[in-house]
Amino acid sequence: MADQALLAVEDVVAGYGGVLALRGVSLSVRPATITAVLGANGAGKTTLLTTISGFIRPRQGRITLAGADLTRRRPEEIARAGLAHVPEGQGVITELTVEENLRLGALWRHGSAGRSEALADACQRFPLLAAALNRSAGTLSGGERQILVIARALMARPRVLLLDEPSLGLAPKIVAQIMSLIRRLRDENGLAVLLVEQNARSALNIADRGVVLNLGRVVAAEDAPVLAADVGLRKHYLGF
Amino acid sequence: MREFIQFTLGGISFGMVYAAIALSLVLIWRGTRILNYSQGAMAMFTTYIAFTVIGHTGSYWAGFAAALAAGLVLGALIERTVIRPVENKPPLNAVVITIGLLVFLEGLAGIIYGGQYRSFPAAFSITGLRAGSLALGISRNDVFVACAVLAAALGLAVLFRYTSAGLRLRAAAFNAYAARLLGVRVGRVLTLGWALAGLIGALAGVLVSPDTFLYPASMDSIFVLGFTAAVIGGLDSPVGAVVGGLILGVALNYVGGYLGSNLVPIFGLAALIVILMFRPSGLFAASTSRQV
Repeated sequence: MADQALLAVEDVVAGYGGVLALRGVSLSVRPATITAVLGANGAGKTTLLTTISGFIRPRQGRITLAGADLTRRRPEEIARAGLAHVPEGQGVITELTVEENLRLGALWRHGSAGRSEALADACQRFPLLAAALNRSAGTLSGGERQILVIARALMARPRVLLLDEPSLGLAPKIVAQIMSLIRRLRDENGLAVLLVEQNARSALNIADRGVVLNLGRVVAAEDAPVLAADVGLRKHYLGF
Repeated sequence: MREFIQFTLGGISFGMVYAAIALSLVLIWRGTRILNYSQGAMAMFTTYIAFTVIGHTGSYWAGFAAALAAGLVLGALIERTVIRPVENKPPLNAVVITIGLLVFLEGLAGIIYGGQYRSFPAAFSITGLRAGSLALGISRNDVFVACAVLAAALGLAVLFRYTSAGLRLRAAAFNAYAARLLGVRVGRVLTLGWALAGLIGALAGVLVSPDTFLYPASMDSIFVLGFTAAVIGGLDSPVGAVVGGLILGVALNYVGGYLGSNLVPIFGLAALIVILMFRPSGLFAASTSRQV
């Protein structure tokens, strides 16, 4: 049962207006694994996540979560199916406090007791946020905001986490913390993570599987160590 | 001095009505970035419903409650049917729709009730209050009007700040994209926002109709002044809406009292023009930028 794919993307074609960003992408993510999605700018990585989370409707193909067809559902319904998407540029609601951002994440899932419990969990796991609960989210630094949006996405106890470039614009030390956090989420919570990263090296360090996109197509899908060892592939598509 | 006190206090009652309309407009503007030109007409329509209920039951408060309930329902209904299709379209579409709604509601009221001026009862005595020998320029009903709108404004504030529904409303208004990602059913939240705006507008309607009489176009000028109040306060600011309403109500009462009542509409429009020319974002413009 744990071997079945939790999230399955089958031959998805999607794009913006006249431009096709995904030209038949297939991949699957198992529970308690990290799958890194890699590739150059414009390869379709962000479009892939945006399509999975429902903001772009695929023109062809299917997306299923634990067998349930998500393909034509609204983003809020897909989130309620247990899929949390943390977009690039974070999506912190700066007009709300840190606590309000977190509570918002828990609203659909829990009653008031569950919400307080989820908030306490988040505070325990992220002491940084616990100290800033009443501050406006707009006052947080880049690294703090990244932690906030991940913590917020976790409030509803999702089964699948989509992360779009969590390391963007952050100092290497913070990037390391975030990568280690993602690894812990897989190990301790059994979370299935789909991780889009430009920083292919850090991503492959923690990933179990790697999928390389180029011009909207999958050009490689291997276990992460295999990908990391393939020097030709790395140089050609990943730049290191 | 005595006149000054009378004019100041007298302006508060109308000012609170403008504040109520302004609050409804701000609610809808913040949630959907739409200016609801039919807000006054909606209030007129729900006041007619109150009028009918009062006629049948003889009870003012039954009519009052009916108007508020009708406001909730009408707001929700309008958002769900007529506004939803234009929420993500160019702003001009929503302008046309809400103006069309205004014409439709006024026409419908005319058909159902006729165009004649109806008198609408006040909740409390309209006799001027006195402090000793000093005529204060306000009545018990005026005090009720001010308190009712204040209570509604405070109720909204509590709702927004301390309830989950309020959190969803704010999140959807600030960043609908992020809210969707977190499972917030933004559509339903917007319906709630419009329902609340309908409620507050309905309140304004029953509170002001004793003064203006009730007829299909009775809320037109109230709407314009409510809109002016919202612009003065800053379309994004609920506090600004209330303050703007008060400022406008009192200022117009000075104009009416010291300069003559026929100058009031002119001054109202002049105020709107001046604000739009010199400080279009309003007195309480939010300092943080809105995420698109």
